[in-house]
Amino acid sequence: MSALCPPPSPAVAKTEISLNGESPLLAATFAYWDNILGPRVRHIWAPKTEQVLLSDGEITFLANHTLNGEILRNAESGAIDVKFFVLAEKRVIIVSLIFDGNWNGDRSTYGLSIILPQSELGFYLPLHRVCVDRLTHIIRKGRIWMHKERQEHFQKIVLEGTERMEDQGQSIIPMLTGEVIPVMELLSSMKSHSVPEEIDISDTVLNDDDIGDSCHEGFLLNAISSHLQTCGCSVVVGSSAEKVNKIVRTLCLFLTPSERKCSRLCRNESSFKYESGLFVQGLLKDATGSFVLPFRQVMYAPYPTTHIDVDVNTVKQMPPCHEHIYNQRRYMRSELTAFWRANSDEEMSQDYIIHTDESFTPDLNVFQDILHRDTLVKAFLDQIFHLKPGLSLRSTFLAQFLLVLHRKALTLIKYIEDDTQRGKKPFRSLRSLKVDLDLTAEGDLNIIMALAEKIKPGLHSFIFGRPFYTSVQERDMLMTF
Amino acid sequence: MISAPDVVAFTREEELQDELYREPPLPEEYSVPLFPFAGHGANPWAKVANSKFSRDFILISEFSEQVGPQPLLTIPDDARVSGTFDLNYFSLRIMSVDYQASFVGHPPGSAYPKLNFVEDSKVVLGDSKEGAFAYVHHLTLYDLEARGFVRPFCMAYISADEHKIMQQFQELSAEFSKASECLKTGNRKAFANELEKKLRDLDYTRTVLHNETELQKKANDKGYYTTQAIEKANELASVEKSIIEHQDLLKQIRSYPYRKLKESDFHPYEPECALLDEANAGCERDPTTSDPAETPLYTHVPSYTPKLIKAKSAKCFDKKLKTLEELCDVYFFTQTLDQLHQIERTFRGDVCYLLTEQISRALLKQQTITNFLFEDVSCLDEKPPEKQGRGCQGHSHDARDGKCSEEFLAPTVVISLGSYKSSVECVPIKMEQDIEDTQEPQMSESVTFEHQENLDYLDADLKGSISSGESIEVLGTEKSASGLPKSESQASLPVSPSPQVGRSKVGSRRTVSEDSIEVLSTCPSESLIPEDFKASYPSAINEEPYVGDEEGGLRFTPRLNLDDADEQEDVSNQENLVQVDSACCIGKESPNFLEPELGHKPCDEDGVVRIPPQPYRASEPGLHGTFGSFPSHDGIAGGLLPYELDSRYLGGSREVSKSSLDECSDSTSYMSSAASTCSDRTPSPAHPACHGADRHKKKAGQNALRFIRQYPFAHPAIYSLLSGRTLIVLGEEEAIVKKLVTALSIFVPNCGLYGKPVKHWLTSPLHVVDFQKWKLIGLQRTVSPAGVNVLHTLSRYSRYISILDADSKTLRCPLYKGSVVSRLADHRTQIKRGSTYYMHVQSILTQLCSKAFLFTFCHHLHLPISEREPEESVVSRRMNFLKLQLGLVNEDVKIVQYLAELLKLQYLQEPGQGVSPLLRFDYVPSFLYKI
Repeated sequence: MSALCPPPSPAVAKTEISLNGESPLLAATFAYWDNILGPRVRHIWAPKTEQVLLSDGEITFLANHTLNGEILRNAESGAIDVKFFVLAEKRVIIVSLIFDGNWNGDRSTYGLSIILPQSELGFYLPLHRVCVDRLTHIIRKGRIWMHKERQEHFQKIVLEGTERMEDQGQSIIPMLTGEVIPVMELLSSMKSHSVPEEIDISDTVLNDDDIGDSCHEGFLLNAISSHLQTCGCSVVVGSSAEKVNKIVRTLCLFLTPSERKCSRLCRNESSFKYESGLFVQGLLKDATGSFVLPFRQVMYAPYPTTHIDVDVNTVKQMPPCHEHIYNQRRYMRSELTAFWRANSDEEMSQDYIIHTDESFTPDLNVFQDILHRDTLVKAFLDQIFHLKPGLSLRSTFLAQFLLVLHRKALTLIKYIEDDTQRGKKPFRSLRSLKVDLDLTAEGDLNIIMALAEKIKPGLHSFIFGRPFYTSVQERDMLMTF
Repeated sequence: MISAPDVVAFTREEELQDELYREPPLPEEYSVPLFPFAGHGANPWAKVANSKFSRDFILISEFSEQVGPQPLLTIPDDARVSGTFDLNYFSLRIMSVDYQASFVGHPPGSAYPKLNFVEDSKVVLGDSKEGAFAYVHHLTLYDLEARGFVRPFCMAYISADEHKIMQQFQELSAEFSKASECLKTGNRKAFANELEKKLRDLDYTRTVLHNETELQKKANDKGYYTTQAIEKANELASVEKSIIEHQDLLKQIRSYPYRKLKESDFHPYEPECALLDEANAGCERDPTTSDPAETPLYTHVPSYTPKLIKAKSAKCFDKKLKTLEELCDVYFFTQTLDQLHQIERTFRGDVCYLLTEQISRALLKQQTITNFLFEDVSCLDEKPPEKQGRGCQGHSHDARDGKCSEEFLAPTVVISLGSYKSSVECVPIKMEQDIEDTQEPQMSESVTFEHQENLDYLDADLKGSISSGESIEVLGTEKSASGLPKSESQASLPVSPSPQVGRSKVGSRRTVSEDSIEVLSTCPSESLIPEDFKASYPSAINEEPYVGDEEGGLRFTPRLNLDDADEQEDVSNQENLVQVDSACCIGKESPNFLEPELGHKPCDEDGVVRIPPQPYRASEPGLHGTFGSFPSHDGIAGGLLPYELDSRYLGGSREVSKSSLDECSDSTSYMSSAASTCSDRTPSPAHPACHGADRHKKKAGQNALRFIRQYPFAHPAIYSLLSGRTLIVLGEEEAIVKKLVTALSIFVPNCGLYGKPVKHWLTSPLHVVDFQKWKLIGLQRTVSPAGVNVLHTLSRYSRYISILDADSKTLRCPLYKGSVVSRLADHRTQIKRGSTYYMHVQSILTQLCSKAFLFTFCHHLHLPISEREPEESVVSRRMNFLKLQLGLVNEDVKIVQYLAELLKLQYLQEPGQGVSPLLRFDYVPSFLYKI
């Protein structure tokens, strides 16, 4: 393969990154479309390994490849498009985020890519959305930075009458590095600690002889109920990795195998960082008995999160999806705006922005007590422990429970689809829906709505009309119909 | 630590506006939309609705060396599907990806051109402005005339939903790989054929040139070569070189499969159709059994006349490139198109249905024990689309083979013989063959009801009727022998051993003669009460307080032949076949335990069934058992008069339309909502076999929705079906009856693997065997003498069945006061579409199945805690469980008990066999409901 590749450009800079564990990522690249030379690679990030899996020439070749055809790019303003390649000839998969931006005084097309071996396709696909979401956000920031550089650069040219083209745009690389490394670390940690696709029920709380053997009955009920209400997205913290992982596995029983592969167990020795976008993750408290969740990353998770502390048996949850998305967007816009207004490198740093801009951190109570009780999970937990453990009876019963949930979710989607003529009319009959579909308990509705949101994104926002209402206000309003 | 402050309403509208105004003008292109799902016209369905094409489609494009990227064909081949979408532009976009990095053609330093077998590439890309996203599968075909012998093609699945493409990536990849492999196999064959033809042409040309050269040599007497001779010689050399090159190419193309087979991940295309046509016969032989060097992969083209060709090929633009069809063998090309059509059908529609279907399929595989009740198991048997790691089906093959396969199986509870005694017993009754013979012609030949798929299981019913008629099982009644000499027609039919433990003992006392059914069907009922029955159950026949029915019940008159040793032997043989004990579902050893639920009825207070519990004693000879499968419910309002019930329901009936079912068209929603105009984009099922079933479900859902809205007594009718009581829909007009039967069929639990026990239309008089086979029967009412016979038989059995009269709109059936059916069939429901209602019914029925499963396999319910614990206590515990733990009220208990009984039977069956049809008689008073 390497013999057929063009020689690498000597100008390509490379950052080698030391990782603790195995890195499934071969490299990350930043390329752009040069109006004279065509696609060119600006920077390469690669894990520091003894064995070179992909030479720089090959990486450059592949990175150039991602921009092929982009001269025809026909995108909406500000769009960041995702391209996904499985190149069997090269035995690699490439994920490229293509975007337009202003750099070096010209509007051009850019591509930030990550390259993995083809053998990691099954590993990567469940994590695709996490990686893309995170890289998308850093591109949004990087694009602003590029634009600002251009302005500054233009002012400098006017003032000094000089031009230093080669210096331009270099400072976006540290910014990208700031997210590429965490993505590499995330993939590395998932390689070693992701939850298996198949979970043995005997490794979970559901294998106990009786409810309450491993943990308090009410706690288990709250944990599972809230976990389902927050679209299967939960953070489990505690001082004992074993205890944390048992709850992580238990919660993962309620996820699809694909979602399980996007969940992470707790590490014994020291805690991982919180990673935005994972479904369930176990985190170990530090010596002081605390774990600090990064507010920004929690907000940027695609779904609201349930916070479960196995030491003190507390369960807290974030507001429902439509509220969460609204808060998230507000937060993102604030961050980007602050970035836009920043005037120096120091001001561009994340901490600076958070600490100086009062409007940046909204006055939100992110985690709340569970407000709505459900009957679905309660009945399930009341019943499953009547079945003898150690056989596959409980697994079968669990499968039936999940099937009921999924069928109800699909029925709910279909109900709304029929009622609103596929979104052409507003939905005004929440009361009827609850009665017709036997979802009169608020918790039940939340669970089914959360499940429906995962397979029909935007359902919450559509049903609950004005997305900036709190759920309480919204319910009051809808129940008046 | 995250704190947990109180809930605060975090924002208000005015605050939001202020904030937005305060913000500096960040260009929108650098920002993110504040309301991603709530913008103008935005909704969860908006993306698809706003696209330029009406639905997903497949586009095949080529990068032509003459005209560049060009679209070749779309699937489906309908211009309306792609709409105003610019296929040319999109072809340009998807083909502009330079995926083919490897060198193809004549490499430097190589004597001959080399074929490079390029692996397919897969790319997901999109055009966000057009709202089109595509999975693009790039492949290379070989063409002798093409530059470098290669023609780049791609197959693209185009959708407006970007997430759908990525969520279904592995499935799409697997399915397109199959199509690609098929196309490439056909192309290799065509390419080899083309090479052979070319070689023969070249050989012929060489011969001609050689002859000409020889002639020239002979004619040449000048001692030197003329220019013409030199040209001929050069031409000959060129041809010979060309022959060598083409031979090398042929060798390369022939050796491809052998080389590829060495690679572990190569899966050669294997046509799913076992019989290949003749074109395929000589195509590719088993590479594992033959040496590629010795056996040519592609056979010679038989009837081909070689022609003289020019040594130099035509210039690029002078030649006409082959079409895709010409590049590929016809058989394989057709197969490829079929595969692509299948892909289009599989993945069309809203991705949420696809995802849920995949998840449901995986979950259903984990609960095989309950699937037979209400699931369409035929769809589950179908091979699902290739899954490699996505969705719930994404188990790797290794995982499936390993641990997870354990979970897919039915619960594996250790079974111990003798720990369980089923109360299901058989009353074998010899049926006259001509019963079926006379029935069949009477079956309406012109069965034109909408659901052709039902014909299959109707056929199955008819075929199986001989064997099923041989033996009638009575659930929870007597303990009798099932020994029965098999008729010749039965010989080939599988014998399903029933789990009766006490058969031989019973059989020794009483066997049933071959004449019994004949007597049953013809003799006056009064005279046919068997002595055994009279002795054992005096009240069972004579004391039922049945309102308004003078007819007697079912009369058995078996001529007992106590000396029938053959039958006994047969019975014992059958017993030997029973390898499992029926207590398996209990999971505890209890040798003396007798399942008291069915066989031992507590004395009913309302006098409906007065059969004392009959504890099982292994040594006790005699006939035991009762009629009536479950303890009669206490809550039956024995004194409640029909009109009292009617008045209760009549109030409701005013709300509903009195129009008959046929007044409503199937194609429109019953609700006069505008929603009926919106198209149902539920995708077609992934499997052709399920396609018909899905249509049937939709139609059944529509009919069911109308039924529950029009008939205020829908609840007791549905209750009858769910509790195992046969419901007869009686009517003059076939269409109306069939619609009602179709509507009600979704509530009928399956009893076996061969479809629902539903008979849509029956014109002949009912026989006992019909109740065994069918739980829902559409019966013709006629005024002819034959019709009188029909009504006569109906009235004879009327106390054991429920009767819905479609003409007079009345229902005669037991009372229902539970809550499950209310949730299932609320006539005020705002559900607008039949398919939605069907989904709702499915989810409620799944909940019911779950309860039945729990009840069946709950280990402490069915066994006495101590040896001295009376059975009444066990029964009481069980009832408490049903009421308190499962939250069942009144008649709902019976529903779960019936489903649990079916589950037990299913569990005890041999794998692959369905539950043997049961003949149940339930002595419960019926009431007459009117609209």
